[in-house]
Order: sequence, then structure tokens, then C-alpha cells
Amino acid sequence: MAVSKRKRAEYIRYAQYGLLIVIALVVAFLADWGQIRAAFFNVDIAKSMFPSVITVALKNTIIYTALGFAFGLALGLVLALMKLSSVAPYRWIATVYIEFFRGVPALLVFIGIYYGVPIAFQMQFPPLTTVMLALGGVGAAYMAETIRAGIQAVPKGQVEAARSLGMSQGRAMITIVIPQAFRIILPPLTNELILLTKDSSLIYILGLFREQYELTKFGRETLSRSPSLTPILIAGLCYLIITLPLGYLSRYLERRGTGGARKKVSA
Amino acid sequence: MSETFVEITGLKKSFGPLEVLKNIDLKVDRGDVVCIIGPSGSGKSTLLRCVNLLEEPNAGKIVVNDVELTDPDVDIDSARTKIGMVFQGFNLFSHLNVLANLTVAQRKVLKRSEEESRRVALHNLERVGLSEKAHAMPAQLSGGQQQRVAIARALSMDPDVMLFDEPTSALDPELVGDVLGVMRQLADEGMTMLVVTHEMQFAREVADKVIFMDGGYIVEEGPAAEVIGNPQEERTREFLARVLDPTHHGPSDPV
Ligand SMILES: Nc1ncnc2c1ncn2[C@@H]1O[C@H](COP(=O)(O)OP(=O)(O)OP(=O)(O)O)[C@@H](O)[C@H]1O
Ligand SMILES: [Mg+2]
Repeated sequence: MAVSKRKRAEYIRYAQYGLLIVIALVVAFLADWGQIRAAFFNVDIAKSMFPSVITVALKNTIIYTALGFAFGLALGLVLALMKLSSVAPYRWIATVYIEFFRGVPALLVFIGIYYGVPIAFQMQFPPLTTVMLALGGVGAAYMAETIRAGIQAVPKGQVEAARSLGMSQGRAMITIVIPQAFRIILPPLTNELILLTKDSSLIYILGLFREQYELTKFGRETLSRSPSLTPILIAGLCYLIITLPLGYLSRYLERRGTGGARKKVSA
Repeated sequence: MSETFVEITGLKKSFGPLEVLKNIDLKVDRGDVVCIIGPSGSGKSTLLRCVNLLEEPNAGKIVVNDVELTDPDVDIDSARTKIGMVFQGFNLFSHLNVLANLTVAQRKVLKRSEEESRRVALHNLERVGLSEKAHAMPAQLSGGQQQRVAIARALSMDPDVMLFDEPTSALDPELVGDVLGVMRQLADEGMTMLVVTHEMQFAREVADKVIFMDGGYIVEEGPAAEVIGNPQEERTREFLARVLDPTHHGPSDPV
């Protein structure tokens, strides 16, 4: 006897629930919960990390990310404008930059900047500057494409209105187009900020002092002195303190939209 | 004694292979209202946009208030402050409230003080009857209100001439009257105006001169009563028949 379409769909759904339960049970039986507890939830070690995990590591992660984001945003805007320039060499330079830094692992870029810049310019930058250049340099490549899409999504009539009021091309760009573009790209920019927060973990290769540790380095350093993986869990939770609210913010901004006349970024 | 304020001679404009304006000569006297009518695609918007050089002409000369805009050395940004433009789609700056829409170019281009630009803006909002909307965002306004704000924005630069490109075409019928009322008042105050429109009643009552365009040429021009009331050219008659009495023509007739 043939089974109706709806019945079949129902059976398939039951099967999916069943599979999930089986996998959960198998994992639960196989795992050694005592070991897991010992490995990840050692209360004494967790306590020993406070308050410096917050006052040093979390704080530094935020500072490094903020510096990188600020520099990346500025450089990204310049790259976006270069990509839209009518002067071909500007477009080429921007394209090469963007493709290179998006295509190469951030870790390699950091190593290159850390060892390469002092050789190339015969000078040692302060650590914060190096962090800013490295994180921002990579972030800029991603943000440039987002900003360019935002600028192009501003309706043409906005520029025409600005020009008809006597604004120059540059003045219209600064006063009218860029502010509107940033409203449009606020959600994707917030996502870039989340990615950058996680990328900030890569600057451990810059060989920082104890008071310069960010979350990952701090966690690994505590790990090397303790028999438990608890520091990694704590560090991970601290990242979530930053990234979860940003994720909510991004989705909120996306839902709220920006009102007024505008096209979709994808258009 | 009338004085020529806008003078266009031998204007040509192409988009790639498409010749849109084929040799336009046009004179507008100071204080006159000139309405431009004609079928879709005949080049009306392009002509208007050439007057403030939003479109770069391929040939010809455009002189506004004794300034030759087609002179390569002209300061076009400064010239444009004296030529107000109102678009079919309003084009209010969507990130700025009404007051800021009216003050931003005064501040950044004319370098007026915050206080003065604000005073000028509020005065012009009052002229278009929207004083109470100074702090609204464009998206909170009806189309008719947005268009009146756009007019006030252009007026805030103290222009000598105003260009209107189908200012009421995007509006619900019941909102058209408010915008036309503002334009009529402007005309009464002596503003020089070039208006692309399909509002024949407005053209008939307000225009000093009506121009009928077709195929990139000015086919017929003259006083409103002549061109609309008693057209000499066959093409003008056909067009007017379609516009004034659209129900008597099948859907196959392009309007
Ligand atoms: N930027 C452009 N690039 C290419 N073609 C264009 C451009 N602007 C206008 N055109 C073309 O030029 C012709 C005239 O356009 P224009 O907008 O001046 O007509 P119009 O008389 O204003 O018509 P409508 O009543 O529909 O507004 C049309 O065929 C149009 O497709
Ligand atoms: Mg048009």
C-alpha cells in the first residue's frame, strides 16, 4: 500500500529525531565525564585566572581589535575609493592589495610585518603600532570590498541632487554618499569586527610581554602552567563576551534597515 | 523690455550611438515660465539636465545669466548654486532630516553660518507650507511633502532659475495639487522656470511659453494658448490628443 506524501514526511522527521538521540547517547557513553570535568572545569584554575583575564587579556583583545578596526576602516575606505577611481593605476593597486591580503593567511601577513617592516624601514615600531598595522592591514582588504559595495548602493539621484546644489564631486562623496553608504553596510561591518576580534589571537607571534597578552596568548600561557584545559575554556568564553553582543547588534541593524531611499547592497 | 536669461544654441547630446538632442535652440527670458512637453524618450529630461550640465553636451553653447556653462574654464559648481533643480524622484538626502537637507549645501557650498542657513531654510519651508516638518526625516513624509521639501531645498540656495523635471509624475493624484500650487506661487513671484511636465492645465495657466519636443528636436514653440490650444504641427496635435483625452485611444498607443 502506498504511503501518502504527508505520512512519509512525518516518518522522515521521526527518523531525524531518532538519529539525533542515538548520536547523543553514543557520545555520552563514550565520553569520560570525569575526565572532561577535570580537563575543562577546574574551578581553582579558573579562579586563579581572575581578575587578570579580564583586566589584562580581555582589555588587550579589545584594544588591539579596536586599533586594527579603526586603521582597517580608514585604509579600507581609501582602497574602496581607489577601486572606484577613474584613474586606472589606482584601481590596479587597490585590486592587487585586496586580492593579496584576502588570499593569504593572516598569520603569514603578521609574520611578514613583524620581521619585514623593521628590515625594510630600518626601524622598530612600538608593539601597538605593529598590531594596528597587521590587524588593520588585513581587515582593510575585507572592508574595502564591503565599503565599495555600500558606496555603489547609494542611489545615483543622491549624487545628482548634491551636484545640482553646487557640491563638488568630492564634497558630495564626503557629505552625502559615504554617510549613507556606512548606514547601508553597518551590519556587514559589524561582522568584519567579529572576524577581526578572532584574528587578534594571531598576534601572539609578535612576542608580547606579559602585560600585553591578549586572550588567546593569556590562555595558552596559563595552560602551560596548569594540568587542565580550563584556561582555554575561560578564554573562549571571554571572546563570546565580545562577539555575541556584536552578532546580535549586527542582526538587529540588519532587521531595522536604515530607512529612506536606498537599494539593496546586492543590487 | 525682456532680457534673455537662459540661452541655448546648437545643443547636441548623444549617449553612445543614440542621438538624443539633435540641434536645440532655446531662449528663456528672465521671469518667464517655460513648459516643455513631449512624448517619452523625446529628450526632455536630457535637455533640462544639460542646462545645469548634469549631462555634458556634445556640441552647442549654454549661457545662463551671462555665464557660459559650456566654457571649459567655468566654475560649474559655483554656477550650479544659482540653478535650482527639482527631480521626479525628489532625491532628498535620506540620512538627513528636513532642516539639514535645506542647510547642508548652504553651509558647505555657500559657507553660510549655521544661524543664517537655518533662518533661510525655515523661511523656505514656510513658503512651501511645511514649517512643522523641519525635524522630520524624509522617509516620514508623503511624496507631495518630500517634493515640496525638495523645492525648498533648491530655493534655499537663492537660485536665479529653477529646473523642474516632471515634479509631479511620481505623486498620487491627490498630492499633485500641493506641489503645483507651490510652483504657481513661485512663478507669480517672478522666478524664471523651466518645467518638464505632463500637467497640461498647469502649462496652460502658468507657462509664458510652451515647447513641444519630439525625436530630439523642438517641433513647436509659442504661447501656451497657441501650442496647446491651437497646435500647428501634426505631431503636436497627436501628442496632445493622447495626453488630453487618453481614454479615446487604445492601449497600443504609447503615451
Ligand atoms: N544616461 C543615459 N545613458 C544612455 N541613454 C540615456 C541616458 N539618459 C537618457 N537616455 C536615453 O535618451 C533618450 C531620451 O531620454 P530622456 O530621459 O531625455 O527622455 P524624456 O523625454 O525625459 O522621457 P520621459 O518622458 O520618459 O522622462 C531615451 O531614449 C533614453 O533611454
Ligand atoms: Mg524625463
